[in-house]
Amino acid sequence: MRVRFSLKLLCAVALVAVASAPAISADTTATKEKAEMCTACHGEGGISQTENIPSLAAQPDQFIQWQLVFFRGGARKNEQMQPIAEQVTNEDIRLFGAYFAALTPPKPSTDDNPDLSKKGAEAAAGRRCASCHTDTYAGTKAVARLAGQREEYLVKALHDYKSGVRSGGAGSAMTDVAYPLSDEEITALAHYLAHL
Amino acid sequence: MKSAFNRSVLALAAIVAVAGASQASAQQTGLKKYESGTKEFWTHPPDDWFLGDETEAQKGLAPPSGPPTGASEAELAALVKKIKLPAGFKIEVYAPGVLAARQMAWGDKGTLFVGSFGLGNVYAITDNGGKKEVKTILKGLNMPTGLAFRDGALYVIAVDKLIKYDNAEANLDKLGDGKVVYDDMPSYAAHGWKYLAADKDGWFYVPFGPPFNIGIPPTSVSQIRRVDPKTGNAETWALGVRNSVGGDVDPRSGKYWFTENARDWMSDDIPSDKLNMISKIGEHFGYPYCHQGDLPDPKFAMGHKCSEFTPPVLNLGAHVAPLGMKFYTGDQFPADYKNSILIAEHGSWNRHKYQGARIVRVTVGPDGKNPKEEVFASGWLEGDQGYLGRPADIILAKDGSILVADDWAGAIYRISYSK
Repeated sequence: MRVRFSLKLLCAVALVAVASAPAISADTTATKEKAEMCTACHGEGGISQTENIPSLAAQPDQFIQWQLVFFRGGARKNEQMQPIAEQVTNEDIRLFGAYFAALTPPKPSTDDNPDLSKKGAEAAAGRRCASCHTDTYAGTKAVARLAGQREEYLVKALHDYKSGVRSGGAGSAMTDVAYPLSDEEITALAHYLAHL
Repeated sequence: MKSAFNRSVLALAAIVAVAGASQASAQQTGLKKYESGTKEFWTHPPDDWFLGDETEAQKGLAPPSGPPTGASEAELAALVKKIKLPAGFKIEVYAPGVLAARQMAWGDKGTLFVGSFGLGNVYAITDNGGKKEVKTILKGLNMPTGLAFRDGALYVIAVDKLIKYDNAEANLDKLGDGKVVYDDMPSYAAHGWKYLAADKDGWFYVPFGPPFNIGIPPTSVSQIRRVDPKTGNAETWALGVRNSVGGDVDPRSGKYWFTENARDWMSDDIPSDKLNMISKIGEHFGYPYCHQGDLPDPKFAMGHKCSEFTPPVLNLGAHVAPLGMKFYTGDQFPADYKNSILIAEHGSWNRHKYQGARIVRVTVGPDGKNPKEEVFASGWLEGDQGYLGRPADIILAKDGSILVADDWAGAIYRISYSK
């Protein structure tokens, strides 16, 4: 309960802050200040410490931009992110993309279940995840970094794609891939990718 | 300019971005192959359905991903300086921040409505003391690339729904859900995005593309219909059409002319995209049997000869991707532009060296004989496989200038002429 409450509060603060922030220039200090409002939820240095909130550090520039554009347009739904994204200008989106892409990626924790990771690696190979997300799962262009992402967030994202709650925007890439995944596969994939 | 950007949203094909990435990692061994002749494929196409006929020669080509937020104002200012036009013509930015801009339509009171791809926005651009204000008035529609304005109502076509929004200009902030006036259309996403062109009776010409690159199309598509938005009645007007996303009614004859994108994965230089005219109801334009008027399909000709089908008025070139087109009926341009056809070419993806991404002018009589083509505006290409922008539609303005929608740079340009 406590986590939930403080999360909401923080996000509300961030929302107000984003909405009231002056228009920013290409000035890096201003970018950093503005991006720090995101880190209230997404974690210091873009590495999330909060359940079900993804790390943004080292996500590809275009991926960050697309997601903000999707939230703003309503194609991707989330009650915290949508009101924030509606306040964000195209210029801000470009700056956020560049900012988070340049951060150091999350370091994976020690793998406490190598057997599960092995299953996940097999599922990833079978589903050809790397063909879009790249061999290192660092992502590229509009495709997300998966390596080192929070495990429970990956589970959530895959379930959202599987159920059609999230479509990834115009294309049906991830909904098509996730649709046939079993819960077991999702658990294994998330564990494997989170520990890369 | 902040307000112009605010809330404007993008949509472009993330699908496209994903495909680009999959190419970048070049993971696949062998060539991509899909069995596209099944209902399962039409209703649940894989994200990279357009790669399903990959060949060794064209391997690795995929649609490029545009900038998610279009071009910045500084980039646009630099871009328009690079556009080449005939003497006396001038291009300027009419409105930035119109992300994924596709077909345009004028409201009676001067509102410019703009459709988009992907995410599904419709924008309204209004003039606020000389400053253009871009408002996203509809969100979350299914690829609303085509729209039209008739008798005070905005019509939007979103794949399988033609939606009417009454008294639209008075209700830009609260258009509501509108009313579906025609929906006897399949929901296939691939080539399911459309274009609207009204004739003098107020019926719309509506193109239906096949849900794949090449194959025997479902009987509900690969055609052009003529749809009455008042009654929901429709006629099948032409057959054998691949992906058409542009057309206009000839002011001289009342006949419908349309652009058509030819199949991919044959080569860099064949088949050619086309400009067609429908002389009479029921004409067949060749797809999938015959391309560019003289090229039987290697697999799907199935014994048919090209002579069985209506040939194009003009072959526009391979992979130039002609989209929106308009007869020039204004008075501002030089007199010999009257009734010329201006075509927005979106440019290639399935070609090693991109071409298109320009506006061409075709001068041709109402009978379709002896067409002459020349480049009108160019300069949106960058290097062999790069874009600064991609023209997607053209509309005439009251003063005789033209507006051009660019879905890559997310902008509307104005091209005008003075002596």
